[in-house]
This record gives sequence, C-alpha cells and structure tokens, in this order.
Amino acid sequence: MRFMVIRRADEETEAGVLPSTELLAAMGRYNEELVKAGVMLAGEGLHPSSKGALLHFDGTGRTTVIDGPFAEAKELVAGFSILRADSLEDVVEWVKKWPVEDAHGNVEIEIRQVQEEEDFGAALTDENRTYTADLNKHT
Amino acid sequence: MRFMVMIKSDERTEGGVMPTEEELTAMGRYNEELVKAGVLLAGEGLHPSSKGARITFTDGKPTVIDGPFAEAKELIAGFWLIDVKSKEEAIEWMKRIPCTDGVETNVEIRQVFEAEDFGDAYTPELREQEAHLRLATKQD
Repeated sequence: MRFMVIRRADEETEAGVLPSTELLAAMGRYNEELVKAGVMLAGEGLHPSSKGALLHFDGTGRTTVIDGPFAEAKELVAGFSILRADSLEDVVEWVKKWPVEDAHGNVEIEIRQVQEEEDFGAALTDENRTYTADLNKHT
Repeated sequence: MRFMVMIKSDERTEGGVMPTEEELTAMGRYNEELVKAGVLLAGEGLHPSSKGARITFTDGKPTVIDGPFAEAKELIAGFWLIDVKSKEEAIEWMKRIPCTDGVETNVEIRQVFEAEDFGDAYTPELREQEAHLRLATKQD
C-alpha cells in the first residue's frame, strides 16, 4: 500500500519563510531514515500559493484562472511525500517521528491512501490499462 | 520548473465513487499526451479521506485523528507532478484536463521547490545527502 503524507501549510510557509539549515538537516535525517527503511518513494516541498494558480472548471466547458495567493493557509499544502507501508497504522508511527524542528513542533500532517490499479475494478479495461502502464514506464 | 497540480475533492470523490471506464479512458489519453510531451513526472489518485488520518503536533506532541475530514473542497483527490518552462505553460496544459460534464472541478497549481531555492541555508553537505536520497528512491 502506498500513502501520501501531506504537510499542511501555515502562516510561515505561506509567507515564503525558507527553512533554516537546522530544519533542512533535520528533514534530511528523517528522510534518510525513511529511505533506509525502504519506506520513502518520493517527497517534495512547495513554494507559497502566491506563486501558484487555481483553475475552476464550471462543468459546461468554461474555465476560470485565478492567480494565488489563496487565503486559507491551513487548508493548503506545503509539502508531501509518498510512502510505501503495510498499513495506515505503520505510516502513523512514521509520521509521529516528524522532526520537532519543523514549525517548532506545531505542525499538521495528513495521511491519505493512494489508489492502486486493482482498486478501479472492471472500469480499468485492457485499453485504458495500457495508458497506466505506459505512464509508469515513462515517469 | 516543476509544478504540483492538485485536483480537489468533491462529494463524489469523498463518497468513494470510483471513476467510470469512460473517465479512466479520457484521463489515460490526457496523461499519455503529457507523457509524450515530456511534461509528466508522476501522477496518482487518492482514496477518500475516510481511509486516511491526520496528525496534529502541539509543541511536539502528536494527536492522531482518523478520517473522514469535513471540508471536502479543501481536500485533494489526486495530483500530477509536471515539468514545464513556466506557470503559464502549466496552466495551458492543465486547462485541458478532461472534466466530467456537469461537474464543477477545482484544480490548484503550485510550484515545487528546487535545491537552489533554499540558498546558503542548504549547505553543500545537505544537497549531497538529498541527491543520494533521490537516487536511492529511484532505484526501488
């Protein structure tokens, strides 16, 4: 099973406060532990929403583009990683070790299960499965 | 430049409604276009938040709350990681996401940090460590 671990944004990340050497080192140590355990598959940090955009599709073919920033800091994403583990509980245990250097120990992390091919059932046909296989091969 | 593009949840995705064969085919075709253009780096869909959890740290102490979480519109249902030349190019690609007729869809585009964005705080030793870790995850 794969899980997405989402580090929620806060006022500092949204203000563009960059991590200190101390925090970068602590995250590096934490990520190294995850990689050595064979748990970590990917991980990235995101710039503040001021550098981003929102697309709204109205359902009738019209699209609206809104430039960032977006107001609700706590509902935004500041970074994520993808972990492989046997259960949600295992991921919870890993996340509990999150470096206290991050946001002075006041941080919110969301864990979400990633969909696998077999979850799509009969809707995944031989035809559309080739797209998935092709995607996995090239990315 | 890399961008993370997040498709937001709605009642359908949070209700565990899985995509139809038609939707999977349309999305597959779109993703294949992104792959052929050398734009797509990764892409995943997420199960509803009812299968997830949240961990809130207060002064270093974790509190675990099981899903589901109420605010469906602020949750993520899936994401793409893309490599393009500008935010404008990211927007142009993402305007073509196949959306279901009659269903409103919100998509958020966010720029991904690169090692150089962290400046001097990211010491040569730390950059080297990151490079090693990235290599190790690719070898899986």
